[in-house]
Order: sequence, then C-alpha cells, then structure tokens
Amino acid sequence: MRHAAKATSRLLRRLWRGLREWCGDAAYESYLRSKGGQSSSSRTLTPAEFYVEQLNRRYSRPNRCC
Amino acid sequence: MNRILSIVGWMVIAALGAGALGSIALHRGEPLNATWFVVAAVCCYLVAYRLYSAFVAAKVLALDETRATPCERHDDGRDFVPTNKWVLFGHHFAAIAGPGPLVGPTLAAQFGYLPGTLWLIAGAAFAGCVQDFVILFCSIRRDGKSVGQMAREEVSERGGFIAQLAVLAIMTILLAVVGLVVVNALKSSPWATFTLAMTIPIALLLGLYLRFVRPGRVLEASVMGVALVLFVVVAGQWVADSPSWSRVFTLSGVALAFAIIAYGFAASALPVWLLLAPRDYLSAFIKAGAIFSLAVGILFVRPQVLMPPLTRFIDGTGPVFAGKIFPFCFITIACGAISGFHSLISSGTTPKMILRESHARFIGYGAMLLESFVGVMAMVAACSMPPGVYFAINSPPSMVGGAGDAAAATISGWGYPLQAQTMTDLAHKVGEITLWNRAGGAPSLAVGMAQIFSGTIGGERLLSIWYHFAIMFEALFILTVLDAGTRVGRFMVQDLGGRVWKPFGRTGWMPGILLSSAIIVALWGYFLYQGVVDPLGGINSLWPIFGISNQLLAAVALVVASTILMKMGRLRWIWVTLLPMAWLVTITITASYQKIFDANPRIGFLAYANALAAQIAVGKIPAGKIAETQRLIFNQRLDAAVTGVLAAMILVLIVEALVHWYSILSRRKESMLHESPYIATRWAADYSGAAHGDD
Repeated sequence: MRHAAKATSRLLRRLWRGLREWCGDAAYESYLRSKGGQSSSSRTLTPAEFYVEQLNRRYSRPNRCC
Repeated sequence: MNRILSIVGWMVIAALGAGALGSIALHRGEPLNATWFVVAAVCCYLVAYRLYSAFVAAKVLALDETRATPCERHDDGRDFVPTNKWVLFGHHFAAIAGPGPLVGPTLAAQFGYLPGTLWLIAGAAFAGCVQDFVILFCSIRRDGKSVGQMAREEVSERGGFIAQLAVLAIMTILLAVVGLVVVNALKSSPWATFTLAMTIPIALLLGLYLRFVRPGRVLEASVMGVALVLFVVVAGQWVADSPSWSRVFTLSGVALAFAIIAYGFAASALPVWLLLAPRDYLSAFIKAGAIFSLAVGILFVRPQVLMPPLTRFIDGTGPVFAGKIFPFCFITIACGAISGFHSLISSGTTPKMILRESHARFIGYGAMLLESFVGVMAMVAACSMPPGVYFAINSPPSMVGGAGDAAAATISGWGYPLQAQTMTDLAHKVGEITLWNRAGGAPSLAVGMAQIFSGTIGGERLLSIWYHFAIMFEALFILTVLDAGTRVGRFMVQDLGGRVWKPFGRTGWMPGILLSSAIIVALWGYFLYQGVVDPLGGINSLWPIFGISNQLLAAVALVVASTILMKMGRLRWIWVTLLPMAWLVTITITASYQKIFDANPRIGFLAYANALAAQIAVGKIPAGKIAETQRLIFNQRLDAAVTGVLAAMILVLIVEALVHWYSILSRRKESMLHESPYIATRWAADYSGAAHGDD
C-alpha cells in the first residue's frame, strides 16, 4: 500500500514537472542549470530579462504550424 | 515466449486494423459507427510506427545512440535545452498541430468520408511522418539548421533560395486563408465575435502579469487566462441576447477582415510579451484540452457517420470547392497527411532540444501520427451531421441560391434531403442567427464538435455553449497562427529589405518594424479581402493555392532529405523519401495546371476571368458593377499568376535536384556532407533533461 502511494506520488510529481516544462513555466530553472546560465564569462539573466529574451527569440522564427 | 506473445499481439492489431479499414471502405447502406474510424486509424498508426518507422530508424537513417545531440554540444539554456522526450513530444505536437488538420478534412468531406480518411492514414504513415522524421534527423546532425539552410548547403544556392521563397509564399497564403476561415466563422455572429474579441484584453492582462508581476510564471497565468476565456464564452450569450450589444458585435465579412488585418499588424508591431506570447499560451492549453475532449467525446458518444463513403461530387462539381478527387483531395488535406510547413518546425526548435537521436523517431514520426488522428477526428465530426446540413453550411450562396427554401430544394435535389426549417432550428439551438453559407470549415466542424460534446455533457441544453466553445477554440488558435506568422513574415521582409538598405534590417528599429509589418500584413490582407468578396466563396480559390504552396515546401524538404540520403550512401533506401516526393510533385503540378487552365470557370482561374470579361463585353453586367467585376477579373489573373509561379518553382527545384544528383552519382562532383563532427555523448543512458536534473 505504502509502495503504491509512493509510486503514485512520484508519478504525479513527474507529471507536474512535465507540464511545467511543456508550457515554459520551468524554462528559467532549466536556464540556471545549463552551462549558459552557470557561465562565469557572461552575466546570469534575471527572470524578467530571461523571459523577454526567450520570447523574442522564440517568436522570430516559425514556431506555429498551419 | 515473450517474442511469440509480441508477434501474436501485433498480428491481432494488424488484423483488427485491416478489418476496420475494410469495414469503412466497403460499407454501404446503413450509417457507420465512428468507432470503426478510431479503431482503423489507431491500429494502422500502431503498425506503421512499430514496423515502418523502426525500419526507417534502423536501416535508412541508422540513428546513433552514442552521438551527442546539439543540446548537449551547446547547452546554453536558451535555444539548446536538453528536454525530456515526452515533454518535447508535447512541444513538437503543439507546434505542428494548427487549424489545417481540422479544416482540411472538413472541407474534403464533400467527397464523402472515404477518400479523405484513407489519404489521412496512408499519407501520414508513408509521407508526412517520414518527412518530419527524416528532416528532424538531418537537422539534428547539423546543429539544428533550418530546411532552407540545409537546402543551400546540401543541394545548391538556388535550392536554398527556392526554399526561402516557398516559406514566404506559404506564409502569405496561409495567413490569408486562415483569416478567411475566422471571418466566415464570426460573420453575423455577435456571440462568437464578442468571445474572440475578449480574448485580446485577457491576453494583454496576462502579458502584463507575466512581464511585471510574476515573470515567466506561465502555468498560473494560463490557468487564470483559461478561466477568463471560459467565462467570456458563457458571457457571449448575454451579449447575443442584448439587442444593443448584439448590434455592436454583429459584423459583416469585410468589417471582420479589416479587424483581423488591424489585429495582425498590432500583434506584429507590439512587443511580443504583451499580446502574442500570452495568446499563444492560452491557445496551447485550450487546443490541448479541446483535442483531448474531442477524442474522449467520440469514444463516449460513438456517433453515427451519416455522410456516404463517396458523394456525387467526386466528379469535380462540389459546392465547397470545385475539382475532382485527384488531385484536389490531396491538396485540400495537407496538414494531417503531409505538410511542408512541418519541416520548418522539425528543423527549428525541436532538433535543438532533443536528447538522443533515437528520440527523433518518437517525436518526428509519432507526433505526426497524432496530428493525422486529429484529422480523422475532424472528418468524423464533419461527417456525423446529416449531409444536407453539411452542404448548407459549407456552400456559398452562388452555389445553392442563397438561403431558405430555395437553397434547401437545391441541396435536396443533389440527393441530400434538407428542410429549410432544419437549418433554422439548428441555428437557434446553437445560438446563431444563421448557419447558411458559412463556408470555411470552422462552423460545420463546430456544429459537429458541439453535437459530440453535448452528447457527453449537458445534452441539447448546452449545445449553444459547446458550439461557441468550439468556435472560440478554432478561432483562438487560428489567430495564434496568424499573429505568430505575421511576426515571422515581418522578420523575413526585414531580412530581405536589409540587403537593400541596412537600417531596414535592424529588428529593433521602430520605423523598420512598422513598415515591414505593414508590408507583410498588406500582402496577406489583400488575399484575405479578395477571398471575402469573392462570389464563389474565397475558399474555392485560396485553399487550393494554400495546399499547393504547402506541398511545394514539402517537395523542397523531401528533395533535401533525398539528397542527404544519397550523400550518406543510402541510395538503396532513397525510395523512402523519393516516392512521397514524386507523388507530391505529381499532385501539385496537376492541381496547379487545372487551377490555371481548366475550362470550367469554377476550377480554372483564367476561364473564370474570361467568363467575367465576356459578360462585361455583352453588357450582362450592370454599369454599377463593372468596376467590381473588373477587380474580380484582376484577382483571378493574379491567382493564376501566383499558382504559376509556385508550379514553376517546383519544376526548377526538381531540375536543380536532378542535375545535382546526376553529378553526385556520376562522380563529377564531390559528394560533401555538411554534418557536424561526431562527438560521443557523455550523458548517462537514463538522463532525462535539464528540468529533471533533480530526479
């Protein structure tokens, strides 16, 4: 029983994380974990700076199909 | 033992699929249950994925699990983000699934359910999925380069230029045609117009929240936004019931066209975080929810498919659009079977986020199978209404003689019985003033979806809410395509203009932004306006041009894929991309020829222009309408010229590719592959992405 509860909670956590990653909610956390976010040669962006920069990049190329 | 069980299991799935497919193909007489469509499609997809995609992955592409992908090589947390394969599947699917797989099958239902359904299933398995998968693989091997860059490097400079032109052409026509679908969905509908108009302030509110209050907290903002959108769907009824507000939101086609043009300009010129991105978030959530609900609804309600397998309009005289099954069924259904536009996504964001080469099979091939399934569901929704109602909604007034008893008599005369009162009652039930002559696919799909949804929850009492939910869902994500496309088009115009005058190319320079936005909006806006005032219903002329331009881009992508396979020494397997390419070129050139030169004025642009000119010459057109008719003649000739240019581009591309292939095979030219050098992956086999680092 405890095993099933643990497995369910693990699955829900994964689903929640997947949903956040899918919609872009976790994008800033991914950036901080990346080499780009941890690079000492360039300044780490704030959440607001990262959000705007990421949108400008994403919407300058085809990203929605017919 | 496991192997034997697996073989037996797959044999059962294959037999079930073949049986279901046989049932829908050979069934005559009584209406058929939609469950057969779902079983046939799902079993065919499973078999295609298990066998054909595995063959392409292992033999044709020889995917390398040990090779580092672009996101491992560059890992900047911005473009190159290692992403879990299920999450990336969702990303990729949300990007490729637009209005095309919903609208195309709905329009093609005029031939009956069979041709479109078979093309959706077979086209996806052997052409569309292969294109998406192979291009994704090629782009992964080239650090996420676009299909245009790959065409330039692997085929020729001219090939790259054609790819760039094809993208601009498809963008212009696509935006016009999806704009037209929205106009026809909102025309004379205060409820739907109010609902869609309200999504703009909701998006602005979300944009400000995400920018200044909680930067990047997309999930919480989207939940608030979706709740507000659902509220305005319900509130739309109060607007429709109020005589004064109803008048404000009852707009003509031309007024709606200008409103959409103004919206496109604003979305392109305003900061992306303010309007475009938050609308996209809303659209993504509502799209995912609506498609999932439609699948559940079809399984729950199991509607009867009332449309016959083949209608009398296979002879080319269809009221929705003119032309025979070959080639027009294959042009009308592009997205859902094969869509060139997907190659832009497969060579854009996705290759930069993929963790392993092996994931390309699941994401490239698998996501396209799911899109094809969306197309099959749209076909079921459109075919589950009585055929007479389907033709009443989708036929322009010039084909059925307006609305009411005369139109009902015309449609009944075609063999699809219809009473005018049926249309009045249906319009009343869904909360619309009228459902006659609403060509474009969206209203008939919304009626079909509403009937399925209301069969699941609420019954007839909620039919009007479900109808307007479906219209809002379609219009919302169509406008997302429109605003995102206009912005990308703006960048392309700035890129081209910047070569002539440097400051124009600076993407942050306001006069350049305004001018380039105005140019791209004027380009698609002209075609949109032309479609709205076209007496034959703009869909008849614009949708085939859109299909041709989309398939042109698919031909470019498959030429690139074939060239790369040839250079990789996989000549033995080149038929995998070559056969779909040959098929696409055949249907595209045939359709282009017929659209330009056919003697039937409903098919041939030139024949229609000549017929109108002859009417002016013999004095059949009243003096007050001569200028309008001359404009119509000009538009038909313009459409003929655009189609001619697209066909010429395909022919030039094929000649270019053949010359290039001959020089490679005859060893006159060194076969140089522009792959990134091999680097072995350092990630553990179970690594599942950046956001999963704390697993």
